[in-house]
Amino acid sequence: MSTNTAQSAAMPAATAPVFEPVKASTMALIIGAVGLGLTIIGFFFSGQRAALSALMAFTFWLSIGLGMLFMVMLHHIFDAGWSTVIRRQLEHGLAAIPWLGVLFIPLFIIGVFQPGGVVIWKWLQTDSAYVALDPLFHHKGVYLSTWFFTLRNIFYFGSWIVLAWYLRKASFTQDSDGSTRWTGVNRKLAAAGLIVASLTLTFAAIDWIKTLEYHWFSTMFGVWFFSGAMRAALAVTVILCVVLVRYRVFTGIFTQNHLYELGRLMLAFTIFWAYITFSQYFLIQNANIPEETFFYVVREHGQWQWLGFGLLFGYFFFPFLYLLFHANKVSPGRMVFISCWILVFALLDIYFNILPSLLTADLIPIYSFLSGFLIIDLAALAGVGGICVWAYLRSYVTTKPIPVRDPRILEAINHHV
Amino acid sequence: MTPKEGNTKMADHRYGLVAVFDKPGTIMKAAERVRDAGFKNWDVITPFPVHGMDQAMGMGRSRVPTFALIGGTCGFFGGMLMIYFMNYVDYPLIVHGRPYFSPLSSFPVSYELTILLAAFGSIIGMFLLNKMPMHYHPVLKWDKAHYGSNDKFLLIIESSDPKFDDKRTREMLQNLGSLEIDELED
Repeated sequence: MSTNTAQSAAMPAATAPVFEPVKASTMALIIGAVGLGLTIIGFFFSGQRAALSALMAFTFWLSIGLGMLFMVMLHHIFDAGWSTVIRRQLEHGLAAIPWLGVLFIPLFIIGVFQPGGVVIWKWLQTDSAYVALDPLFHHKGVYLSTWFFTLRNIFYFGSWIVLAWYLRKASFTQDSDGSTRWTGVNRKLAAAGLIVASLTLTFAAIDWIKTLEYHWFSTMFGVWFFSGAMRAALAVTVILCVVLVRYRVFTGIFTQNHLYELGRLMLAFTIFWAYITFSQYFLIQNANIPEETFFYVVREHGQWQWLGFGLLFGYFFFPFLYLLFHANKVSPGRMVFISCWILVFALLDIYFNILPSLLTADLIPIYSFLSGFLIIDLAALAGVGGICVWAYLRSYVTTKPIPVRDPRILEAINHHV
Repeated sequence: MTPKEGNTKMADHRYGLVAVFDKPGTIMKAAERVRDAGFKNWDVITPFPVHGMDQAMGMGRSRVPTFALIGGTCGFFGGMLMIYFMNYVDYPLIVHGRPYFSPLSSFPVSYELTILLAAFGSIIGMFLLNKMPMHYHPVLKWDKAHYGSNDKFLLIIESSDPKFDDKRTREMLQNLGSLEIDELED
């Protein structure tokens, strides 16, 4: 809905700072190393809580990576036009997935070997009296066994890494040889990959988050994780693109039209998240069976209740109303604001689903939301995030900022809403 | 039809001038000039949507979303009120020991009504803003009106426009590269 003159004026770069990806990647690596170091120190002081900090930070950044994986595959499967412009940045984002796999190894070791009695997933401790006397555990025993858990985790990361590697390779190779064959290769890969990734994402969310309280039942859990992942990935994409415009990398390439398209997707996934989250709550509230309702009952305890209301208004109502307005979806500053807002609440949503799952014998959450442990959470967040940003920037320097020889790149740059 | 230039008797039945263009680029530039000249009552007829024509004609964003928002809001609160009235005021009934009214159980229905009335709002708003249904338009009387749905681009300036001046407007349209200029009768 805007002319070419309006597009370039919409993305002002008053003072163009110089973008130094190599320097920035070193910075990110240092931040990541310091953050991870602080998390390890925290682990020696607070054990389980620091392990959960690491799990939450890992889940948050992995959700962004998986959201990007889905966005790349959705782009290919729909043979989409406009998103060709942003696809390369998403592909760089996929470079973080193998490193997230590496970062999961310590969590896995803590989970399985429970050093110093630190328990993350209590069902991995099969010889404990608590689990041994639990009939529900025995019914779910095969799924909740160490060997199957190990195999599944290897399969999750294996499939994501292989998918990310092939998608990136085909796209990067097209830059050099210009063959349209790679577009077809990626489309076929996306068709198979979407099925595999949907299943692995669902089961990964169940294995890492839902089984923290394995007595609970919900058929919505995987979709909940997917909707949050898409929202977080879209928010990061908006921030990345606006920053690249600011550094004059994306000037004249990423226009108001692309920003508007991203804004519309953000609005759609805001509604989608609300739909899924409400459906999960509503089905449980309506059925009113204790086996299911306890999940929300414990989350009505103390500070968690306020966080729940916070998510309702901050993660749905505010972004929904904000993104309804056209003016907010075409302004880079306003889009970056709502992206940061959504990212904060995406993290709080992960908090809300992970932390209150650990209960005392009286079914009261062990940990409250506000506590001194938030420092360890921030350290873990910076630690995992630093490694992800480092991986992104390390990949960023290897290619051009857009897929220059993609058959749809001209159409994408000239995209008109 | 012959041009009725200078025929003052026809002035009462006159609707405006129509100019024919043969390229989207030319009519886009013409529209920009007509917009900048300050005309208000004018329109463009093209056989297909021309990207950027909204800006060239100086049109703002569509006001249909406002109607959709009003419709959606009415639907949501209307639905909630309806359920509240029926289940809490008019015919309270205990089901499974649940409260008479809960915003949760009312939400799916209110949500559906939100969508329904938002869709109604959009359609009604579109009809109102387009002044539809309109069974007759002076352009249809013109024997070359089919140009606008085939391979030509039409620009129509109504004589009711305060800036309209038969001679000067005609000259302006000629200078903009029009192939043919004709007069429209009301």
